[in-house]
Amino acid sequence: MITCEEFFAEFADYLENHVSPEVRQELELHLSQCRVCHVLYDSSRKTVKIVSESNSFELPQDVVDPIIDRVMAKLRTKGS
Amino acid sequence: MNFLSEAQLKDEFGPFIAFRDAFGFIPNLLQAQRLLPRVIEAQAMLETAVRLREGAISRVQKERILLSIAADQRNTYCVALDSRVLSSLGLSDGQIGDLLNGSRQAGLSAPDFASLQFCLKLSRHAPSVCRQDIEALRTCGLEDESIFEAVVVTALAMYRCTLSLGLGPEPDFGPPKLPSTRIDQPLGPTPLGSLPDLHEAAHRKGPYVPAPYLSPKTFAPFAAVQQSRGFIPNFFRAQTLRPDLVEAQLEAMGRILLSQDALTRVQKECILLAVSAANLNSYCVAIHCDLLRGLGMPSEDGDQIAVDHHQSNLSESDAALLDFAVKLGTGDPEFSRADVVKLQTLGFTPEQVLESVVVTAFNNFANTLSMGLGIEPDFAPPPVFAGTKVHLSPAAPTPMQQRQEVVHVSGTLQDADADLVAQAQGGQLEAFEALVRRHTQLIYRTLTAILGDPIDAQDAMQDTLLSAFKHISGFQGRAKFSTWLVSIARNTAFQRLRSRKNVESLDEGEYGEDRDFRPRQVRAWQDNPEQCHSKSEMRQLVERGLLQLPAKYRVVVMLRDIEQLSADDVARQLGLSVPAVKTRLLRGRLMLREWLSPYVTATYKGAAQ
Repeated sequence: MITCEEFFAEFADYLENHVSPEVRQELELHLSQCRVCHVLYDSSRKTVKIVSESNSFELPQDVVDPIIDRVMAKLRTKGS
Repeated sequence: MNFLSEAQLKDEFGPFIAFRDAFGFIPNLLQAQRLLPRVIEAQAMLETAVRLREGAISRVQKERILLSIAADQRNTYCVALDSRVLSSLGLSDGQIGDLLNGSRQAGLSAPDFASLQFCLKLSRHAPSVCRQDIEALRTCGLEDESIFEAVVVTALAMYRCTLSLGLGPEPDFGPPKLPSTRIDQPLGPTPLGSLPDLHEAAHRKGPYVPAPYLSPKTFAPFAAVQQSRGFIPNFFRAQTLRPDLVEAQLEAMGRILLSQDALTRVQKECILLAVSAANLNSYCVAIHCDLLRGLGMPSEDGDQIAVDHHQSNLSESDAALLDFAVKLGTGDPEFSRADVVKLQTLGFTPEQVLESVVVTAFNNFANTLSMGLGIEPDFAPPPVFAGTKVHLSPAAPTPMQQRQEVVHVSGTLQDADADLVAQAQGGQLEAFEALVRRHTQLIYRTLTAILGDPIDAQDAMQDTLLSAFKHISGFQGRAKFSTWLVSIARNTAFQRLRSRKNVESLDEGEYGEDRDFRPRQVRAWQDNPEQCHSKSEMRQLVERGLLQLPAKYRVVVMLRDIEQLSADDVARQLGLSVPAVKTRLLRGRLMLREWLSPYVTATYKGAAQ
């Protein structure tokens, strides 16, 4: 079985679902037998999910509108 | 006579000895490269590993492939040399003549004949090779190891043919016994000759032969690649049936591509990109675009070279260098000494001309190998590259055209924003407003990510939009409009940072950064961690976590995980290489994981029971 270090070397691609079937097989065998790496993988996957679904830094429409209105007003004054 | 003058190099030069031992003499093709001993070493390494070393297929089988391809390419130099080699291995003149004529009567077994036909197809129309060709070989009884070696030998044949076409060495033996007409029989009966089902080919992932996992820990060349490039390209991962071949290729690549004593690395990458594009090789186009970005070339410039280097920002002499390489790399029968002379007239030294020939030859090695094995791209090829530079028969559609998700018209990108952009460029304010409304969140998040301060980012919005309007007439449509907007937002943010005088660089350190970062929290998380906090609590947690990340990680995580751009798009927008993006993405995600951990582990006190 591959070591934790070898697992970690492929980890970024595994998380992005970007590994070949042969590599995947090795990684999943490791995951089934190594608790630490399993926790790492499980929590990282959940982190990505949480961040993706968080809608972080979404500017509310009532903040967007005045900004764009101000810009457009400036541009119109310039243009005319 | 060679096209280039020769320097003195003693016959005791290591690679020369290897060749004398194997062939009984030093081929003129090697002598013609005396100006740069390192490229002779490279060729010797490839030939020793691919041609001479014992493998799944015999030496005679390999030499048959080399000779047949040389004859098919009308390469008198290689035909003369390879005929002599086969003769020394015991083949009769009659058998060699049959091979030169592409005749079935060469006394070949059915698998040998099928293998030879496959190699010819790969050398002639690499983009038309698909998984079914490999299946057909298996049906004929060929093992995966033999198929793999046949592909690599074909790649070597293309290397040697390109090299000898470009250097014009005197044949070692004469006169070559080429038939008067090109062998143009269809490449094999069915199923080999049947048209590939491109739809299926596009959707079945390569590589075509198994590639056992090989660890960088036990295989030092992989560790070295990981160290220098930040990742192990699929090109090498697909060849693990023969680790020794991977090693030889890496050694050869180092000698050909990494030195800067003749051409610069950028010039060499441009050659590799332009010739790969001409050969319709989406794998190599993607990797060289990425490498050029890593060497500091803006994405659009690299993309433009892939589409048409004449329209790029290259100097006149560099454009001529690419003309030379493309003509040579596509095996143009018009290629001649005049092309070499022209480059020298433009100021290129003999060493530089020699190196451009060698780089082009190596490119064809890589192009042939990647197409023959069906290697999946590591990154998306540039969105504007659709394999439109068709020098093959137009009747032969390429797998690449099937793979493209974006439809292109005459080399420019089909962008959903294109109509509005045109109107905005014509001065229509409503169109401009619609455009910026479409991309408000992307702009805002880019600003927040770089500035690390949401309020500051809101202030910077106005400057960004005004700057976008001011410069929109200069937007040429070579990149997506959203990519261009992000670059305006980046510039605006950087101006603000500079005025704050606490610039946090987004660029420092490419691959090696924080490699040793190791996760600390190893307690298991809850099954549904998002359920132990309200949605707004979760959002605040994530936002606070993001704000405390260093900017270079924050930008990548926000564009990838919140804006949901692909890693390739993030690389384009930030002008980084894809491996650099992946490294930063992982690091950023792991830091967020550490940050979130205390709130979501299975033992978290606030957890719902």
